[in-house]
Amino acid sequence: MSNDKEVPAATVVQDGKLGGDTPKTAAAAPRQPYKRKLSNFMLDKKLQLRYVMLVTVLSAMISGSLGYLIYHQRHQASASIDSDLAALTQSDASFSDVKNEVAEDNAHDDRMLVYKMAGVGIGLVLILSAYLVIMTHKVAGPLFKVSMYFDRMAEGRIGSVYGLRKGDMLQDFFGNFKEMHESVRTRMQADVISMESAADALRTKLANSPALEAMDKHLAQRKKQLL
Amino acid sequence: MAAPPNKGYKRSWKNLLINKRYQLRFTLFMVGLSALLMAGLGIWVMKEANDATSVAKSSIAGDACPKVPVITDTVNDDNSVPLKLDDGAAEPSGDAPVKMQHSAVDPKDVAHHNANDDVIAVQNAWCLDASCQPEQAAPLEIKMSTSARCNAYVKKKLTDPEAVAALRKALVPVVKCDGGDSFTVADAGAAAEPEREHHVKVQLDESSMTMMPAPAAAHVIPADYGERITAHWACVYRNEGKIADLETGRLRILWVLVITGLALVLGLAIYGIKMTHRVAGPLFKVSLYLAKMKDGRYDKVWNLRKGDQLVEFYEHFKAAHAGVVALERGDIEQMTALIAAAKEAGAGETEAVKDLEALVARKEKALE
Repeated sequence: MSNDKEVPAATVVQDGKLGGDTPKTAAAAPRQPYKRKLSNFMLDKKLQLRYVMLVTVLSAMISGSLGYLIYHQRHQASASIDSDLAALTQSDASFSDVKNEVAEDNAHDDRMLVYKMAGVGIGLVLILSAYLVIMTHKVAGPLFKVSMYFDRMAEGRIGSVYGLRKGDMLQDFFGNFKEMHESVRTRMQADVISMESAADALRTKLANSPALEAMDKHLAQRKKQLL
Repeated sequence: MAAPPNKGYKRSWKNLLINKRYQLRFTLFMVGLSALLMAGLGIWVMKEANDATSVAKSSIAGDACPKVPVITDTVNDDNSVPLKLDDGAAEPSGDAPVKMQHSAVDPKDVAHHNANDDVIAVQNAWCLDASCQPEQAAPLEIKMSTSARCNAYVKKKLTDPEAVAALRKALVPVVKCDGGDSFTVADAGAAAEPEREHHVKVQLDESSMTMMPAPAAAHVIPADYGERITAHWACVYRNEGKIADLETGRLRILWVLVITGLALVLGLAIYGIKMTHRVAGPLFKVSLYLAKMKDGRYDKVWNLRKGDQLVEFYEHFKAAHAGVVALERGDIEQMTALIAAAKEAGAGETEAVKDLEALVARKEKALE
């Protein structure tokens, strides 16, 4: 049974981005530097949305509650002024215009305060959400990257590992992973060399042996996996 | 021997901060943002609350309370009663306020009237044969053609008791001659009546005296004085109570904000650390397995605790671990087959076979 078709091509990693498999052709065009895309910011929706929603909802609740308190206090003051003015101008109808004007001004100010607070609140939620998505992306990004390396390891591909992007978090964790990966890779490469030398030593005595042929294929596959 | 029952793992508080950089960053961001919002909006709330309290206080202060009724000393002329000693009016009862009536006679007129008779008497006694203008309680000046004649006239008159009595009644102290001598009225009596005894002659004439009502006795207390006093102070204390309530409300808002802010910050700090721990925990666990894999040990991978996050990520790791284990098993399988073939071919004692056996033993040990 041949495993050649199951073995993926060598991995090409550029600029810290797992580029996926590329055909091993000499004329392959140089890859464009990786650029972050807005659509890629939500790598781990569960992890990121949980934190984003928590902080955003919390901020919205604080802003909403305190905003309502601000409006309530302002409205109370306006109502008090209006009632006092009404009492003062009760005996003189000529002041009713002034009273109405002041009441309209107060109502307008109260409405504007609500609009301002609503605008600031919405702006805060939007900016905060965007910032938090970026912030959590700096955690989700390394996890995503390590997950992809894990997937390759699961497929038996122990290739090279490149570092994280500048600004990413979990650098320590990624360092641990990279050390492990390099250690496993180095050890497997050493094992391949040992197995290859043993197979070569036994080649004269095991000519045409299926076990030796299988070992040769195994070693060839392993070499590809360790590229 | 029976093994002791395995106690379930319990999270420890001291182990919550596994990945300080990650956990503190996210927790502090959350806490700091909340504190900033609470502080900023709290200051705004307090500013508005202070304004509203000031306006409400002004409104209360603007509500005028009923004034305290003033006890006036003004007496109504129609109801007042003059206290005339000789009128024989009935004395007022002790309890009822004294009502007095003013006299209809002007006191000036009374005095003027009383003085006129005396002056006329002096006029009749002294000014018929000489020129003079007598006045009450003033020196009497006599004018005649010569001073000598005037002196003689005055000396002669001062010997007349009726003329002297008229002077005394009009309180004239001195009689002067124009360009001549002055004669004291007090000396004239002695000169005129040396033989008579000195007796003070007192004559009581009819007179009247008006007594003005004493201010203390004239206070008029309104009928609703008590009600108005009660209403005034009830209003004052009610307003002061309202102002105190406003101040209490303002302080209550402040304390609620401070306590809520502190509770929020504290609660968020604890919750944030616990929440991030659910991420840091699996990462820590994976790091332990990574360390083992680095050392060439591929132990069995256990599942995450209930409630941990990064479950999918952990599944990726488990797959990777299984992949490496599969590689190792593949090596072992191929080497075992090769060793068996070599032994069948009589090459079991060669150095290559021994190396392969050692390699297989190491790999099998790594998989235990």
